[in-house]
Amino acid sequence: MKKTLILLALAATTPPAVAGKHAYGPFPATYVDECASCHVAYPPQLLTAPGWQQVMAQLDKHYGSDASLDPKRRTAIADFLQQSASNRDKHAPTEASARMTRSHWFVREHGPTPPAKIAFADCAACHTAAERGDYSENSIKLPAGWRRIKEK
Amino acid sequence: MQNRLALAAALALLAAGSAHALNAAEYQAGLAPAASAAEPGFAGFSAQRGEAFYRSTHGGDWSCATCHTDSPTAGGSHAVTRKAIKPLAPAANPARFTDAAKIEKWFKRNCNDVLKRACTPREEGDFIAYLLSVK
Repeated sequence: MKKTLILLALAATTPPAVAGKHAYGPFPATYVDECASCHVAYPPQLLTAPGWQQVMAQLDKHYGSDASLDPKRRTAIADFLQQSASNRDKHAPTEASARMTRSHWFVREHGPTPPAKIAFADCAACHTAAERGDYSENSIKLPAGWRRIKEK
Repeated sequence: MQNRLALAAALALLAAGSAHALNAAEYQAGLAPAASAAEPGFAGFSAQRGEAFYRSTHGGDWSCATCHTDSPTAGGSHAVTRKAIKPLAPAANPARFTDAAKIEKWFKRNCNDVLKRACTPREEGDFIAYLLSVK
Protein backbone atom coordinates (compact mmCIF):
# COMPACT_ATOMS: atom_id res chain seq x y z
CA MET A 1 0.00 0.00 0.00
CA LYS A 2 2.78 2.35 1.03
CA LYS A 3 4.75 1.48 -2.09
CA THR A 4 1.73 2.16 -4.29
CA LEU A 5 1.21 5.52 -2.65
CA ILE A 6 4.86 6.43 -3.08
CA LEU A 7 4.72 5.40 -6.74
CA LEU A 8 1.55 7.44 -7.25
CA ALA A 9 3.16 10.43 -5.58
CA LEU A 10 6.27 10.09 -7.72
CA ALA A 11 4.25 9.75 -10.90
CA ALA A 12 2.08 12.70 -10.00
CA THR A 13 4.99 15.08 -9.60
CA THR A 14 6.78 14.36 -12.88
CA PRO A 15 5.50 16.29 -15.87
CA PRO A 16 6.85 15.17 -19.25
CA ALA A 17 9.88 17.06 -20.59
CA VAL A 18 9.22 19.13 -23.68
CA ALA A 19 11.52 18.11 -26.54
CA GLY A 20 13.85 20.91 -27.58
CA LYS A 21 13.28 23.09 -24.55
CA HIS A 22 16.11 21.54 -22.54
CA ALA A 23 14.18 22.02 -19.32
CA TYR A 24 13.71 19.01 -17.05
CA GLY A 25 11.85 18.35 -13.83
CA PRO A 26 10.66 19.12 -11.26
CA PHE A 27 11.63 15.74 -9.83
CA PRO A 28 10.12 13.88 -6.89
CA ALA A 29 11.45 14.94 -3.48
CA THR A 30 12.87 11.47 -2.77
CA TYR A 31 14.91 11.55 -6.00
CA VAL A 32 16.27 15.00 -5.20
CA ASP A 33 17.03 14.11 -1.55
CA GLU A 34 18.90 10.94 -2.35
CA CYS A 35 20.33 11.55 -5.81
CA ALA A 36 21.11 15.26 -5.75
CA SER A 37 23.10 15.51 -2.53
CA CYS A 38 26.44 14.90 -4.23
CA HIS A 39 25.64 16.07 -7.75
CA VAL A 40 22.94 17.78 -9.76
CA ALA A 41 19.68 15.81 -10.18
CA TYR A 42 20.46 14.26 -13.54
CA PRO A 43 17.38 14.18 -15.77
CA PRO A 44 16.22 10.56 -16.04
CA GLN A 45 15.27 11.22 -19.67
CA LEU A 46 18.93 11.31 -20.66
CA LEU A 47 19.69 7.63 -20.03
CA THR A 48 17.84 4.48 -21.12
CA ALA A 49 16.03 2.13 -18.73
CA PRO A 50 18.74 -0.57 -18.92
CA GLY A 51 21.29 2.17 -18.19
CA TRP A 52 19.43 3.23 -15.05
CA GLN A 53 19.07 -0.41 -14.06
CA GLN A 54 22.85 -0.76 -14.17
CA VAL A 55 23.33 2.37 -12.09
CA MET A 56 20.84 1.24 -9.44
CA ALA A 57 22.38 -2.23 -9.27
CA GLN A 58 25.81 -0.81 -8.36
CA LEU A 59 25.01 1.94 -5.87
CA ASP A 60 27.66 0.82 -3.40
CA LYS A 61 30.21 1.28 -6.19
CA HIS A 62 28.78 4.43 -7.68
CA TYR A 63 31.59 5.87 -9.83
CA GLY A 64 34.07 5.52 -6.99
CA SER A 65 31.72 6.28 -4.12
CA ASP A 66 29.32 4.46 -1.87
CA ALA A 67 25.81 5.72 -2.66
CA SER A 68 23.92 2.82 -1.13
CA LEU A 69 20.27 3.27 -0.17
CA ASP A 70 17.73 1.54 2.05
CA PRO A 71 15.58 -0.91 0.06
CA LYS A 72 12.36 1.13 0.27
CA ARG A 73 13.85 4.30 -1.19
CA ARG A 74 15.94 2.32 -3.63
CA THR A 75 12.86 0.66 -5.07
CA ALA A 76 10.86 3.90 -5.25
CA ILE A 77 13.68 5.68 -7.07
CA ALA A 78 14.40 2.76 -9.40
CA ASP A 79 10.73 2.67 -10.38
CA PHE A 80 10.71 6.41 -11.05
CA LEU A 81 13.83 6.12 -13.21
CA GLN A 82 12.43 3.22 -15.20
CA GLN A 83 9.23 5.14 -15.89
CA SER A 84 11.01 8.33 -16.92
CA ALA A 85 13.94 6.83 -18.82
CA SER A 86 14.67 7.43 -22.49
CA ASN A 87 13.77 4.79 -25.05
CA ARG A 88 16.15 6.20 -27.67
CA ASP A 89 19.37 4.45 -28.64
CA LYS A 90 21.34 7.67 -28.54
CA HIS A 91 20.89 7.76 -24.76
CA ALA A 92 21.98 4.18 -24.23
CA PRO A 93 25.08 3.44 -22.16
CA THR A 94 28.15 2.56 -24.19
CA GLU A 95 30.16 0.94 -21.40
CA ALA A 96 29.72 -1.17 -18.29
CA SER A 97 29.59 1.73 -15.86
CA ALA A 98 26.56 3.15 -17.73
CA ARG A 99 27.81 6.73 -17.58
CA MET A 100 25.30 9.19 -19.01
CA THR A 101 28.26 11.28 -20.09
CA ARG A 102 29.44 8.57 -22.50
CA SER A 103 26.23 7.99 -24.42
CA HIS A 104 26.41 8.80 -28.13
CA TRP A 105 24.13 11.74 -27.57
CA PHE A 106 26.24 13.22 -24.76
CA VAL A 107 29.52 12.85 -26.63
CA ARG A 108 27.98 14.40 -29.74
CA GLU A 109 26.78 17.42 -27.73
CA HIS A 110 29.83 17.90 -25.52
CA GLY A 111 32.76 16.15 -27.15
CA PRO A 112 34.68 13.41 -25.36
CA THR A 113 36.78 15.66 -23.09
CA PRO A 114 35.62 18.27 -20.59
CA PRO A 115 37.41 21.62 -20.08
CA ALA A 116 40.47 21.57 -17.83
CA LYS A 117 39.74 20.99 -14.11
CA ILE A 118 36.04 20.38 -14.79
CA ALA A 119 34.29 17.02 -14.67
CA PHE A 120 31.39 16.29 -17.02
CA ALA A 121 29.54 15.18 -13.88
CA ASP A 122 29.57 18.84 -12.80
CA CYS A 123 26.89 20.08 -15.21
CA ALA A 124 26.51 23.36 -13.35
CA ALA A 125 30.09 24.35 -14.22
CA CYS A 126 28.77 25.46 -17.63
CA HIS A 127 25.02 24.94 -17.43
CA THR A 128 24.50 27.68 -14.89
CA ALA A 129 20.80 26.86 -14.39
CA ALA A 130 21.30 23.09 -14.01
CA GLU A 131 20.15 23.16 -10.36
CA ARG A 132 16.73 24.19 -11.72
CA GLY A 133 16.82 21.51 -14.41
CA ASP A 134 17.33 24.13 -17.10
CA TYR A 135 20.03 23.31 -19.68
CA SER A 136 18.92 25.81 -22.32
CA GLU A 137 21.54 27.49 -24.48
CA ASN A 138 21.03 30.97 -23.11
CA SER A 139 22.08 29.83 -19.63
CA ILE A 140 25.36 28.27 -20.76
CA LYS A 141 28.63 29.94 -19.80
CA LEU A 142 31.66 28.21 -21.32
CA PRO A 143 35.20 28.60 -19.95
CA ALA A 144 37.19 31.09 -22.03
CA GLY A 145 38.76 29.52 -25.09
CA TRP A 146 37.21 26.06 -24.71
CA ARG A 147 35.99 24.43 -27.87
CA ARG A 148 34.24 21.09 -27.72
CA ILE A 149 35.79 18.53 -30.03
CA LYS A 150 33.05 17.28 -32.31
CA GLU A 151 32.91 13.51 -32.73
CA LYS A 152 33.49 12.56 -36.39
CA MET B 1 -6.59 17.43 -5.98
CA GLN B 2 -6.44 13.64 -5.82
CA ASN B 3 -2.76 13.67 -6.84
CA ARG B 4 -1.88 16.14 -4.12
CA LEU B 5 -3.65 14.04 -1.51
CA ALA B 6 -1.70 11.01 -2.66
CA LEU B 7 1.53 12.97 -2.52
CA ALA B 8 0.78 14.32 0.95
CA ALA B 9 -0.10 10.84 2.19
CA ALA B 10 3.06 9.34 0.74
CA LEU B 11 5.24 12.06 2.23
CA ALA B 12 3.55 11.69 5.61
CA LEU B 13 4.14 7.94 5.53
CA LEU B 14 7.80 8.46 4.68
CA ALA B 15 8.18 11.03 7.46
CA ALA B 16 6.47 8.78 10.01
CA GLY B 17 9.05 6.10 9.28
CA SER B 18 12.04 8.31 10.15
CA ALA B 19 13.54 8.95 13.58
CA HIS B 20 12.30 11.53 16.09
CA ALA B 21 14.26 14.82 16.21
CA LEU B 22 17.64 14.41 17.84
CA ASN B 23 20.82 16.37 18.42
CA ALA B 24 24.51 15.60 18.08
CA ALA B 25 25.22 15.19 21.82
CA GLU B 26 22.31 12.79 22.21
CA TYR B 27 23.39 10.71 19.22
CA GLN B 28 26.93 10.64 20.57
CA ALA B 29 25.72 9.48 23.99
CA GLY B 30 23.99 6.61 22.24
CA LEU B 31 27.37 5.47 20.87
CA ALA B 32 29.06 5.30 24.27
CA PRO B 33 27.94 1.80 25.36
CA ALA B 34 29.21 0.19 22.15
CA ALA B 35 32.44 2.19 22.26
CA SER B 36 32.99 1.18 25.84
CA ALA B 37 32.25 -2.50 25.17
CA ALA B 38 34.74 -2.57 22.29
CA GLU B 39 37.56 -0.96 24.21
CA PRO B 40 38.41 -1.78 27.85
CA GLY B 41 39.64 1.43 29.48
CA PHE B 42 37.49 3.61 27.20
CA ALA B 43 37.54 6.99 28.97
CA GLY B 44 35.08 8.96 26.86
CA PHE B 45 35.12 10.51 23.39
CA SER B 46 37.87 12.93 22.44
CA ALA B 47 37.60 15.99 20.23
CA GLN B 48 41.34 15.85 19.69
CA ARG B 49 41.22 12.29 18.37
CA GLY B 50 38.18 13.32 16.35
CA GLU B 51 40.06 16.17 14.70
CA ALA B 52 42.98 13.92 13.74
CA PHE B 53 40.47 11.40 12.37
CA TYR B 54 38.70 14.14 10.39
CA ARG B 55 41.88 15.34 8.70
CA SER B 56 43.53 11.99 7.99
CA THR B 57 43.22 10.33 4.59
CA HIS B 58 43.48 6.96 6.35
CA GLY B 59 45.76 5.64 3.64
CA GLY B 60 43.40 6.55 0.80
CA ASP B 61 42.82 9.50 -1.50
CA TRP B 62 40.25 11.43 0.51
CA SER B 63 39.85 12.68 4.05
CA CYS B 64 36.64 14.03 5.56
CA ALA B 65 38.15 17.46 5.02
CA THR B 66 38.49 16.84 1.26
CA CYS B 67 34.77 17.53 0.79
CA HIS B 68 33.78 19.07 4.12
CA THR B 69 36.83 21.42 4.08
CA ASP B 70 39.44 22.05 6.77
CA SER B 71 36.94 24.08 8.71
CA PRO B 72 33.67 22.23 9.46
CA THR B 73 31.82 25.48 10.09
CA ALA B 74 32.37 26.41 6.45
CA GLY B 75 30.38 25.09 3.51
CA GLY B 76 32.21 22.49 1.48
CA SER B 77 31.89 20.93 -1.96
CA HIS B 78 32.14 17.48 -3.50
CA ALA B 79 35.68 16.76 -4.72
CA VAL B 80 34.54 15.74 -8.23
CA THR B 81 31.12 17.22 -8.92
CA ARG B 82 31.74 20.39 -6.90
CA LYS B 83 28.21 20.19 -5.55
CA ALA B 84 27.82 22.55 -2.60
CA ILE B 85 27.71 20.86 0.81
CA LYS B 86 26.25 22.68 3.80
CA PRO B 87 28.49 23.01 6.90
CA LEU B 88 28.95 19.90 9.09
CA ALA B 89 29.40 21.57 12.47
CA PRO B 90 26.09 21.85 14.38
CA ALA B 91 27.11 25.35 15.48
CA ALA B 92 27.00 26.45 11.84
CA ASN B 93 24.18 24.17 10.69
CA PRO B 94 21.63 23.20 13.36
CA ALA B 95 19.97 20.66 11.06
CA ARG B 96 23.00 18.35 11.35
CA PHE B 97 22.65 15.20 13.47
CA THR B 98 18.90 15.58 13.98
CA ASP B 99 17.80 12.51 12.01
CA ALA B 100 19.25 9.15 13.06
CA ALA B 101 18.49 7.44 9.73
CA LYS B 102 20.24 10.22 7.84
CA ILE B 103 23.26 10.13 10.19
CA GLU B 104 23.63 6.37 9.76
CA LYS B 105 23.21 6.58 5.99
CA TRP B 106 25.99 9.14 5.60
CA PHE B 107 28.36 7.43 8.05
CA LYS B 108 27.87 4.20 6.09
CA ARG B 109 28.56 5.81 2.72
CA ASN B 110 31.32 8.20 3.66
CA CYS B 111 33.24 5.85 5.96
CA ASN B 112 33.29 3.38 3.05
CA ASP B 113 34.50 6.14 0.76
CA VAL B 114 37.27 7.41 3.06
CA LEU B 115 38.27 4.38 5.16
CA LYS B 116 37.03 1.54 2.91
CA ARG B 117 35.23 0.13 5.96
CA ALA B 118 32.59 1.05 8.50
CA CYS B 119 33.56 3.55 11.20
CA THR B 120 33.62 2.15 14.74
CA PRO B 121 31.29 3.64 17.37
CA ARG B 122 34.32 5.22 19.05
CA GLU B 123 35.45 6.84 15.82
CA GLU B 124 31.97 8.22 15.21
CA GLY B 125 31.79 9.53 18.79
CA ASP B 126 35.20 11.20 18.51
CA PHE B 127 34.20 12.69 15.16
CA ILE B 128 31.07 14.20 16.72
CA ALA B 129 33.10 15.44 19.70
CA TYR B 130 35.34 17.35 17.29
CA LEU B 131 32.36 18.78 15.38
CA LEU B 132 30.75 19.89 18.64
CA SER B 133 33.97 21.64 19.67
CA VAL B 134 34.08 23.79 16.52
CA LYS B 135 32.25 27.13 16.83
